Amino acid sequence: MKIERKSWTDPVLIGSVTPLAAVMLFFFVIPLVMTTVLTFQTTQYYRLAWTWDLTIWTEIFSKPHYWTIMLRTVSMALICVVLSVLIAYPCAYALATRLKTYSTQIQILIIFAFLTDAVLKTFGWILVLDNNGVLNWLLAKVGFPPETLNLLYTPTATMIGMLYNLAVYPMFTIYLSLMRIDRDLILASYDAGASRLRTFFEVTLPLSKPGLYSGAVLVFVLSLGAFLEPRVLGGGTSPMASELIRQSFETRVNWPLGAALTIVLIVIGALTLAAFGFFTLRRKATKGGAA
Amino acid sequence: MPTPIIDAVDIVKDYGANRALHGVSLQVGAGEFVALVGPSGCGKTTLLKILAGFEDPTDGGLKIQGKDMRGVPAAARPTRMVFQKLALFPHKSVADNIGFPLKLQKVDAPTVKERVRAMLDLMHLKPEYLDRFPAQLSGGEQQRVALARALVSQPSVLLLDEPMSALDAKLKKSLQAELKKLHREIGTSFVLVTHDLEEAMMLADRICVMRGGNVVQIGTPTDIYYRPANMFVAGFIGETNFLPVDVARKGDAATVSSPLVEGQPTDMPADHISPDLTDKGPALLVRPETIRFVTGDPEPGLWVLNGMVDEFFIKGSSTQYRIRVSGLDAPLVMDLPGSIVLPAEVGQAVRVAFDPSRAFLLSE
Repeated sequence: MKIERKSWTDPVLIGSVTPLAAVMLFFFVIPLVMTTVLTFQTTQYYRLAWTWDLTIWTEIFSKPHYWTIMLRTVSMALICVVLSVLIAYPCAYALATRLKTYSTQIQILIIFAFLTDAVLKTFGWILVLDNNGVLNWLLAKVGFPPETLNLLYTPTATMIGMLYNLAVYPMFTIYLSLMRIDRDLILASYDAGASRLRTFFEVTLPLSKPGLYSGAVLVFVLSLGAFLEPRVLGGGTSPMASELIRQSFETRVNWPLGAALTIVLIVIGALTLAAFGFFTLRRKATKGGAA
Repeated sequence: MPTPIIDAVDIVKDYGANRALHGVSLQVGAGEFVALVGPSGCGKTTLLKILAGFEDPTDGGLKIQGKDMRGVPAAARPTRMVFQKLALFPHKSVADNIGFPLKLQKVDAPTVKERVRAMLDLMHLKPEYLDRFPAQLSGGEQQRVALARALVSQPSVLLLDEPMSALDAKLKKSLQAELKKLHREIGTSFVLVTHDLEEAMMLADRICVMRGGNVVQIGTPTDIYYRPANMFVAGFIGETNFLPVDVARKGDAATVSSPLVEGQPTDMPADHISPDLTDKGPALLVRPETIRFVTGDPEPGLWVLNGMVDEFFIKGSSTQYRIRVSGLDAPLVMDLPGSIVLPAEVGQAVRVAFDPSRAFLLSE
């Protein structure tokens, strides 16, 4: 039998790779390169000037204002990751272990809520969080003074909105992970003498880590780019990166600045994910390799 | 039997409207190897799960080491289970898997290490496997790790749920031999669930044959093979022949005759009659190795059947013939010692004979 030599000119190889390569090139690589190129230009009289210098980068690195917003974005994203995982895990666990009979119906309801337009849902939260909204009305009903909580147009409101829109991702990834755990492993742990709690920490939790991690990464990436919630519920008082970038492009018509801030955000996101990947992979490696 | 380790009395288990166990009783002695055998759905696995504490019986009593097990969770029972799919923790190393039960008992780390090493030696596993993960081991090695994990905390009963069903035939044979040796060495009581009666006969001291949530027969392998309670138990062992007969009973004695054969009515020896004999479809259990071809007049006392060779299989040490006999639903199976010259060809009319007094009288 002749062993086929795979070369770059092999038509089958080219044919099978081209579609994906084209999509990646036109919708990922080229936009990224264009964005990067843009950061080395400047704006003069609201027009782009092809100056090829570091004016924009000097500005970014000299103004702490930008970095405050970047820091706020990353910390909001990280808080959102932690809280959404804390919310999602028990829900997914209940769905996978306790509510098996109704799990399909519950999942359909969750998916309906998930598929409802995010703008609509986010504006819906205004009705709840407003000073004269549902939440304060309920609190007043149970005896609190009127307008106990002034949540609307605060970072807390932003966080509530983000959690509402994003927690469903880890809920499903964790649910899928939990469903894949062989019931016998849980029984084996009981059989070896472990309590329910011990079994959870020794078996269930470690084996649901893939879902936990992928859910966390999804929430992190999506909350870094959160745009709607800070604008609608945060009221623009403590903007996040996406709002800053929007302003640079639209209000200030400073495309090079917007492009540079975009690159900064992408780099911060990529570095955080790389650090996360590095630590989880290294921990695996010290535990003995392929598991 | 001295005080049994396991004493299960009239265990009933319902799953909704389905009754999986109809009042099963089973005693397992100290150091005994008992096999639960039956076709799928016979309740053997359910019974094992009840012993392990994964399922609660709907009714009936269960004592292990004299203690009532009602409401005692699996974690607190002196039993350990080897699962059908082994259920090794994929995220724990071999050492952590084996040491897990000890870690839960708060045994100090050096002792755990020492005992895990000792288990590794007992199971003929190499010490360098300690840091590997289950997925990096072969099927047979995983099997040994699962056994080691189950035995490391020295349980008084080891429960085995068809642990060898996924292995290839050759590996299975060698592990079966090891399991029997291991049982002899450590003296723990073993309860093995299997659908393979041959495996049960090889390994167990006593076999409990189950069907439809009931115990059909409990006995030694010899009992089960030579004195099966009924056709179900006898048919479970492997290929065999049932010849329908007419029975005339006088007290414990029985005289059998059959219109299908040439031969005299025969008195069956008392120990060749099943104690569970009923009027329902009495038959003679005729083992394939007890049937021979005959030419001319047979010796007196033998029963002769006329038939035609349907098919034959050369198995090396033996040759199997299937003889179609008019009046019998299934062809008669006979095993002859292997020989270079074939005694009969397909389609040939033949006469075969056996000694009815050496057969075994039973019913459906």
